[in-house]
Order: sequence, then structure tokens, then C-alpha cells
Amino acid sequence: MDPLDISQFLVDEGLTLGADEIVALTTNKARRQIRFGNNEITISKTWDEVVAEVLLERNRRVLTATTTDIEKDSLRKTVKDLVSMANVMKPHESYAPLPKGPFQYAKIPELYDNRISKLEEESADYVIAAVDSATNTGATRSAGTLLVEESTSKLISSKDVEGQRSKTMINLSIRSLADGEASGVGISCGTNLNDFNPKEAGEKAGTFAKKSLHPKLGKPGRYDVVFSRVANAVLFDIVAGMNSAFYVDAGISCFGAKVGEKVASESITLYDDALAAGGIGSTPFDDEGKPTDRTAIIENGVLQTHLHNTLTAEKHKTQSTANATRTRLYRTWMPLPWNVVVKEGKHDDEELLEGIEEGLFVNNITYVRFQDYRTGDFSGIIRDGLFKIENGEITNSVKGLRLSDNILHILQNANALSREALQMSHWWMEFDTPSVWTPLMTAKNVGFTAATK
Amino acid sequence: MQELVNLAVEYAEKLGADYAEARFQSDLKKMYLLVNGKPDVGRFVRSSGMGIRVLVDGGLGFLSMNRPDKKMLRKRVRETLKIARSSAKTFKGSIQLSPEKTFKEEWEVKPEVPFEDVSAKDKMSLLIDIDDAVSSVKDVGVKIPSRYLYILEYETKKRFLNSEGTEISSSLPRLLFFGLLTASESGKGTEQDRLYKGESRGWEAVKQWNLVDYAREKAQTLGRILKTAQKAPKEKLDLVLGSEVVGLVMHESAGHPYEADRIMGREAAQAGESFITRDMIGQKIGPEIVTVVDDPTVEHSFGHYLYDDEGVKTRRRFLIKNGIINEFLHNRETAFEMGVESNGAARAEFFDREPIVRMANTFMLPGDSTFEELVEDVKQGVFMKTFGEWNIDDRRYNMRFVGRECYIIEDGELGRRIRRPILEITTPGFFGSIDALDENLKFEGAICGKSDPMQGVPVWHGGPNVRVRDVRLGGIE
Repeated sequence: MDPLDISQFLVDEGLTLGADEIVALTTNKARRQIRFGNNEITISKTWDEVVAEVLLERNRRVLTATTTDIEKDSLRKTVKDLVSMANVMKPHESYAPLPKGPFQYAKIPELYDNRISKLEEESADYVIAAVDSATNTGATRSAGTLLVEESTSKLISSKDVEGQRSKTMINLSIRSLADGEASGVGISCGTNLNDFNPKEAGEKAGTFAKKSLHPKLGKPGRYDVVFSRVANAVLFDIVAGMNSAFYVDAGISCFGAKVGEKVASESITLYDDALAAGGIGSTPFDDEGKPTDRTAIIENGVLQTHLHNTLTAEKHKTQSTANATRTRLYRTWMPLPWNVVVKEGKHDDEELLEGIEEGLFVNNITYVRFQDYRTGDFSGIIRDGLFKIENGEITNSVKGLRLSDNILHILQNANALSREALQMSHWWMEFDTPSVWTPLMTAKNVGFTAATK
Repeated sequence: MQELVNLAVEYAEKLGADYAEARFQSDLKKMYLLVNGKPDVGRFVRSSGMGIRVLVDGGLGFLSMNRPDKKMLRKRVRETLKIARSSAKTFKGSIQLSPEKTFKEEWEVKPEVPFEDVSAKDKMSLLIDIDDAVSSVKDVGVKIPSRYLYILEYETKKRFLNSEGTEISSSLPRLLFFGLLTASESGKGTEQDRLYKGESRGWEAVKQWNLVDYAREKAQTLGRILKTAQKAPKEKLDLVLGSEVVGLVMHESAGHPYEADRIMGREAAQAGESFITRDMIGQKIGPEIVTVVDDPTVEHSFGHYLYDDEGVKTRRRFLIKNGIINEFLHNRETAFEMGVESNGAARAEFFDREPIVRMANTFMLPGDSTFEELVEDVKQGVFMKTFGEWNIDDRRYNMRFVGRECYIIEDGELGRRIRRPILEITTPGFFGSIDALDENLKFEGAICGKSDPMQGVPVWHGGPNVRVRDVRLGGIE
């Protein structure tokens, strides 16, 4: 069967077997990845994937399945198993019907680039460009990944809904080391080659690695901080992800019962923009087939809404924000952000540093863990560049500190953003945001701890 | 799809591959989810397909496919070899695999109670019973307003074949229970704790876990912490760490840094590297009483397997032996690079992931003291029984654990509860400060994430209760 005929087949099977409603999404995807380490390619990977996903509703029971077993009999069995499970499950508390079509979907510019779909072994040239420029700017060795992807997805629902989208994506992430500890990072990503710049990503990684040499041991305490775009990608993935109504209900959020309240300083405005031109996560429809939009999550510091699918919207007595999708790992059905966009400020990047008398520049954050999601208390590892700022200038590299604060506290103490937002796709996105557009951000009084022995 | 495994290996060899392997893998995962007492969207994931790896001229290529299409398979194998050759030509092309014995084996873990013998209704009923138990303010002593509970059952079948003649088939059931409870008390804020159980067996695991009592006890503890726990001390003291904490320390600080691919820099971009270097084998890192192993052969363990995803027979690995750095975790690529044999640590989460160096079940071997003996020799200290938040830097040198269930120790006796003490310590600082282990050994299940694309593999970690001398608790003044 042609992969793009699978969705219709699943919907027809579901209705025949007794589903009240069914929506199927099939994605045919070709991906290539080059992984490199120590300036060498360690492996080249190709994925040829067809993935079919179904959401089925019967007597207010709601079930979903994901399958890569796409032989006709197996697909039939998948639907049959869902119907059997529906017969013994309990009704969903906040069942609501799937969106009724037909819909006209937006045409999102710059989502497909033929040049990306044709890339084969010449992708290695991008890796060479990035590694060479990192080496030329101070790295002794570099590691990273280049991912190139082309996909077409077809969605069909029993509610007179049909949609198709085609996308390409390219993402280079390079981490350079100048010795065992001194490191830097560079990211260049997008849906087309126009803005893709592996050389610049390599330069950033190499420059930060060199700057990170000869670090001084940092003192724990509170500092005014400039967060880089890479660091902000991790922070705002958390902020947007925690506004999934599913996570709010599950206790995995510090934004519960705060819609309409001030949760950040006035400088913070945050959107989820599914229609962003060239957005890695952009899509004209969500996994229920509802047309997507640009949704303000936080506007001038005030929380506007959580992100919803039809089920969570019913529970929260509001409208779906068209964020129905599934998590990457377990394919859990829940609303999640498409593209997070942090509204730019008025300053040049350099001006943000100039405003700080004594503080820190944080270039990258990973391994974020929460003491308590409900309060937002967390800590995270800082790497790839932590620098002391004195009288508006970076003076030296710092080591041994850990970011230890609270998500709401950082948002409320954010006081300035730079004027250029760039798209970032970071491997440490635990809330599954495909991309974050962000400028630099400063925040006052941010906590840092250190090892005591 | 399974029959294409032979075709893939034969075709890659025909095209000149120095080595080829193909692994058909099917995973059926079913999840039952309850959020605040209400059934959420039930689901399953049926993942099946083939992962193929080729080595040609020192360049490594990986291909994954799930469509049963011979023509497309040949096309993709040709492309994979072409790209691997090309990268080997452009770069040094120095990748080789260690020579290993070949095997023709079938192994399986047979469930006593297959998952399909228990109805979805009964599985949901179990979650509802757990939810009822933790929701009873009378029994628990505090409100638990957020309750996120799920059961995840896996069935993994694999067929591995390589061009050297190894053929391995396996079948493994796994069961995971996860919960996140949030307790709330007016004027005291909130406290959260995770519930986690994982084993490689059928539904019979549930009986042993006694989930209703386990969850109730966790909820009761959260209530007691909220109502009675006081501020943690700041002065220098001795710590007794519970086996739950010790287990995760072993995973993070003795497992990850001993992964040879990290040591070689292959994971530098994402997971990171290691403070351990290849020349540190034989160096002392802790007292003689400390021995840390990683052992996939532990029966019913969550990280259980007998042959790894390169077809190598696995064994218990002694990472630290009597305080000395003893061996690293290897796949065939790192083993060749370091001039040793693979110790069978190559794991791939799904068919579409390459096998990389992973832990299985990492734990410190117990000592011979009793728990009481650990405590009675402490004048002023803290017993950190469980943890909430944790993390560690990417070289695995600087770690942090925030305690959940914790008590003061005064003059050899456990005293009042304290709230969220923070242990922030270097790995050598930790191992160098251990002076006693008790005779207990407990394991916790977890999913360990690594690499890009992310691979989350089931693991256990564990250990005894451990005494650490002369540390200062961290945090911001």
C-alpha cells in the first residue's frame, strides 16, 4: 500500500469495526544523520520510515496507537485491538467530539526545500565546514550531529477532515573542546538552506571553547545573568511545555491555576506559533485535524492560556488551541507546543552585557531536574561557556557552578531581551518542543550552587 | 519483514561490506494511564522493523527500515554503503570492530502470567486501587491533589544476524510502573515523589511489588515531611545515604563515566565525555570496601539480557574492584580501539537505533555492617534515605542530590526529619569519603537516556546503605 493511503485505510477500518470517530495520521519520512566526534565522522545513518498513528473513540472511550508495522493485516489488527481495548476501558472523563471539517488550512511559507531532499553524501561537506571553522577559531576537537530530513504526512478523520503537509529540515549541532573541560556550542537549523550556516555554528563553538580556557572556580550565590539563545531554548521549552494542560493536570507544572495571573516580568511575551514561516515544528493542522494558529501563552508577563487538545479543553472548559499531538518517547497523547517564539526586546546583544556590573553569562544548560514541578524549583548543568561579567564585559571563564533556582523566579526577574531572535533546536528539550525562537535574555538575582567537597 | 534480515546482510556483503549485521526487532508497548483518578487516553505502540549496520573501509553506516520492500531495501543498502565509504575516504576511516566469538543461540524470559492473560479492565482497576489508597486523607494524613500513575508493559522480540555467522533470537517481557504524587499542606507548600518499579518479567511482577502498599507508604511519607520536617543543617557532618540514593550515584558516577564511548569522545556533543581517561585503569578511586559492577545477567532485572545487540555474550562487569578502577563498558568498536574484548554492553532501544555502549544494572556490592552499625558510629549527621532532584555534569564529576526522606542523626540515633538537604559533591570527593557499607542490597528501576537520537533503555541501579564522612551540605545561603 502507498504510505499516503494508509490513513484512509485506517479510518475506513475503524468505522467498519465500530468506532464512533477516528483520526489517522501517516508520515512517510526519510532522514539522514552524520554523527561526528574528535573531528571524524563516527557513523552515517539513514532512516526510511513509515509511521501510522490513530486516535479512536467509541462510546466515549478514547484510545490511540502508533505502529510501524504497516502491512495491511497488521494495520487491520491495530484498529481491531483498539476497538477491543475500548470495549473494556472506562469512559474518558472529558470526552469531546473530534473537530468537524472540512477545513481550509493555511499555506505556511518556507517549509520545504528541494535542495535538502536531494542531499546525500555531500552532507559531509557541511560537517567539514563546521569542524574546520571550529578548529580555526580555537577548538582542538569537535563533536556533533547533522540531521537532514524530508517528510510527508497525511491526516484523515471521520469528521470530514483531510490534510497533507510536506516538510524538510536540517539541523547541525556542534560542540567543540579546547581541552577536557573548555567547551563551546553552535547550532544552525531550519527548514531550508537559505539561513543554514554550518561555518558560523562552528565558529561559535570554537570561539566559546577557546574563551572557556583557564577557568576560575566560581563562588556560589546570586548573580545577574545573561542567558544565551542556546540556554534560553532549554528554559523556554520548559516554560511552554509546562503549559500543556496535560502536564498542569498531572502536577508536572508550576503554572497550574495561574491563567490570568502575572507569572513573568512585563518584558516576557511568549507564543506558540504553529504557522511560523520556516519553523521546524510548523504545521497547518494538529493531530486531530484542527487548523493551527499562533497562540499567546504569556503576554507582557501575564499567563494567557495553557495549550489544549480537544480533551483537555473540554476538561478546562475552554477551546482547543490546536496543540493535539503525542510525546516523542511513549507517544502519549497530549497537547504540546509546535514552535515556541520568545518576543524580542530592544537591545543589541552587546548592550545586554553592558547593563551588568557584576554577573554571569550562561551559554548552555542541560540535565535540568526538578525538586518539585509544582513550585518550579530546579537545578541544571551549565556547560559550553560560563563567564564572569564585570562592568559590562566578559572577564574570565568560570567553572564549578550549577544553576539552582526556580522557573517562576527567573521569569519574574527577567528584565531585558535582545532584538534578534534565532531558531534553536536543542537536544535537551525534555518537553518535546521542536524549536524555540529566542533572543538573549537577562535576569536578575539568579541562584548558583557549587560542590562542597 | 523478518525474512529480509538475511537478504540485508547478504546484499551488503555482496556490495563489499567488510562487516554487516541486521537486527529485526519488534516492540509492543501498552500503556494504561490514570490522571487524578480518571482514566486518560489508553494506548499502544507497535514498533517493528530492521536496523542494519555496515562497516566498509573503516567507515560505519546504519540503516533502518520498516517497509517490507525488497527493492527499496537494496536501494537503501547501496546508499548506506556509498555514504559510509565516502565518509571513510574524507576522514581517516579508522573504525574497526574487536574480533569476537560467534554464537547461534535463542534465549527468552518466559512470563509466568503473560500480559494478554490479564484484561485491560483489571490493569486499570489496579491503578484505580492505587489512586484510592493515596487519595485517602485519613490513611495518608495529607491531601494528594495530583496523582499521575501509569503501567507500561513491553514485549520485545529480536532476531540478530551478522556476516561472521552469529545468529541470536530473543524474547523478553518487561513491566514498568511509574507514579508522580504531589502532596499539599496548607502553609507548608507541596512535596512530590516518584514511584518507580521495573522488571523483566510478566504480570506476576505486580504481586511482588505490592503497589497499593508501596504507593500508600510513599504518600504517607510525603505527608510526614510536609508536616514535621525542619531545616537542614549547614555544618560539616557525616552522611548515611540510603540504597536508593547510592544506586543512582553508582549509575551516574560509576556507570556513565566508565562507558568507553564517552571516554573516547564519541558522545561528546550530547551526553558528554568523562573525567575518567583510558589510562586510569588500575588507579585507586575509593576505599577497598568499594566494588561496583554492571551486570545484565541478573535474573528479572529491568536491564536484563544475555547477548547484546552486536551478538556478543554478556557478563558481569567489575567497573570498580576493591576501590580500583578495573574495566570500562565496551561495545566492539570501543573494545577494538582500547585493545580489549567487548564485554557485551552494546544496546539499541528500538530497531531504528544503532547499538551503543550502555549500562544494564549498575550497583555497589554490599558490605557486612548492619544499618544500625552505620548509624551508631555517627555523632552528628544526616540519613538521606531517598532523593528528589538530582543531576551531574557531562564529565560525571560534579553531582547533586536533593534529599526527600531525610533524618538528623545525633549521637548514633536517628532523630527528627529534615527537608530537602542538598548533597553537592565531586565524584572523587564522594568515593574518597566512603568508610562503611551495610549488608543490604536494593534495586530501583529506571529508564536511562543517552545519545542523539535519544535512546531510553531500561536499567536497574542499586547498592547498600553507605556512610560518607565529613561533608558539608550545599545550597545557597
